[in-house]
Amino acid sequence: MDRRRINGPSGATIPPVFDDAGSQDLASVKSRSRPPNATRKMYLRTGVTPSASGSAYLEIATSAKPGVSGLKLNCSVHGPRSLPRSAPFSPHIVLSTHVKYAPFSTQQRRGYLRDPSERDLAIHLEAALRGAIIADRWPKSGVDIIISIVEGDQDRETSKSQGDEVWDMMNALSGCITVAAAALADAGIDCVDTVAGGVAALVQDAGDDSTPSIVVDPIPSEHGKILAACCVAYLPTRDEVTNLWFRGDLPASDMDLYTSLVENGIRASKNANCVLIDCLTETVG
Amino acid sequence: MTTTPTVSLPAPIFAKVTPRPFLLRGLANPPSPDLPPARTNGRGPRETRPISVNASSLSHAHGSALVRVGDTTVLCGVRGELLPVESIPQFRPLDKNAALTEKEGGGGNNDVIGRGELKDYDLLVPNIELATGSAPQFLPGVPPTALAQTLSTRVYSLLHSTGLVEAGDLRVWYKPGGGHKTGEDVDMGEGEGGGEGEGEEDRVVAYWVLYIDLQFASFDGNPFDVAWAAVVAALRDTRLPVARWDPDRETVVCSRTESRKLNVRGLPVACSAAVFVKKESSEKGARTKQGDYWLLLDPDRLEETLCREVITMVVDSSDGETRIKSIEKHGGTIIGRELIRGYAGVAAKRSIEVKKAVEAMES
Repeated sequence: MDRRRINGPSGATIPPVFDDAGSQDLASVKSRSRPPNATRKMYLRTGVTPSASGSAYLEIATSAKPGVSGLKLNCSVHGPRSLPRSAPFSPHIVLSTHVKYAPFSTQQRRGYLRDPSERDLAIHLEAALRGAIIADRWPKSGVDIIISIVEGDQDRETSKSQGDEVWDMMNALSGCITVAAAALADAGIDCVDTVAGGVAALVQDAGDDSTPSIVVDPIPSEHGKILAACCVAYLPTRDEVTNLWFRGDLPASDMDLYTSLVENGIRASKNANCVLIDCLTETVG
Repeated sequence: MTTTPTVSLPAPIFAKVTPRPFLLRGLANPPSPDLPPARTNGRGPRETRPISVNASSLSHAHGSALVRVGDTTVLCGVRGELLPVESIPQFRPLDKNAALTEKEGGGGNNDVIGRGELKDYDLLVPNIELATGSAPQFLPGVPPTALAQTLSTRVYSLLHSTGLVEAGDLRVWYKPGGGHKTGEDVDMGEGEGGGEGEGEEDRVVAYWVLYIDLQFASFDGNPFDVAWAAVVAALRDTRLPVARWDPDRETVVCSRTESRKLNVRGLPVACSAAVFVKKESSEKGARTKQGDYWLLLDPDRLEETLCREVITMVVDSSDGETRIKSIEKHGGTIIGRELIRGYAGVAAKRSIEVKKAVEAMES
């Protein structure tokens, strides 16, 4: 128990259990409202936290149906600043990334302590950004990149989410990469290129024996079953992938499926990059 | 060196190198005699930053508000979770007569009963998170700072002392007698004719626990006022689903379609000011004369680091008359009786501003 916070009652509290008898059929809403190669609308703005060196806010539009929330991310960058004296010498800038879900961001209330999935996100984010930053321009210094996920990408109405967290994390990571790139640019930290994230997934919409198809920017609640997904962090002008995260279950014999999944991820990332560039030129101009 | 070189520093560097003279300059001797004294942020000493309130921006929380005062931005989400009475260690079944009189709106005594429940069962859980990169001094990965802990505790005690939330709203009833809708105590005391023993009495089966989580998105001074405004706005926005006891499943189930607004009593507003003293007090006991200090309303981050004495007054002027709910003052000896008396008027003015902003978002 953390005595430094207010913990509430000693007995365990339970999140509300809903009476599903009177509600409409939940299965019927499972259909994708966009073409398979279209990403959702995105809103990006820099300079939301004036006290930070750089900051950005990203919101991904909700899909058409009500009750589904989009992703809302807030990122702030502090630094570059000198490392503490106790730290060992580093010829490069030391990146430290923190990703934290707000307690009210998901269906179930999140605690204040970081859980493994948040650490996982932070590690992937760091890998994605490290490839973009010109690190040896700041020896002996560090930069903190802090992202709070104000609202997670989750369907509120789905009562039985069938292990969707993994796929939600993919979407969250791609958002984190894009918003962090905007905040880094806002902080004036030199990068070789603007990195942006994109997600592609292999989904099976109708039944277990239907042929799977590849979609971009998947929402788990819009698809019957997600077989595999991959999140790509991509530098467009260099044509380089800085981080690739693949999860799922694909036969090893079918490499074409795998490569086309990555290609679609890159396509999604290019879309995000357009928004990023627009946002940054708007701030400059 | 015979000539002293004239150095001109840009304002941000000046503010960083010598913050105290920087702030003092504008207050003590304004650049021209016909200009009023001003702070470094361009405001007059008794000028607050405008407040803006946005509600219902979060979809997973039962109530939420985003409050912005200048560059300080706070996001507050309220979420209800159920606490079955079996998991309350020292649960005392509610005295039925007491509940009845409370429902009929009696005197102050009922207030005490309701508040006892809130406090005894710890039904309000406010927590403030500063370590969201909101300012360079708050970085994540460490336990909450002293400031974050103090703020949470202050919000917690103010929530209880103002009686903002009524315990009646948080009770979930089981009424075997008649009513199916148990969230509301509408038909208390009726339909109880054929009571078949103790088990068939109307009883409280669970309580809603309100988790009130606050996140600073951006920090530029005066955290308590902004956080408190966010708490009040979010609670006013809160709608809890209608809950009832399902005897077959032996749990509380909530309705997806029906929800009930939380009754929030009044609209208390916190108003803080910091005292900026001309000289850094080196000698103890030396009285600071009139004119050697300034009361800076709604201080920003730079001013907060330079001021030691702070006063916070919580007033409620929602029903015409201004009532003082709490006064907190610490860090010095300058604010005396007269100043506090005068400050009530300042706080009342601020509370009307905040009230307007909160009501504008609700309409």
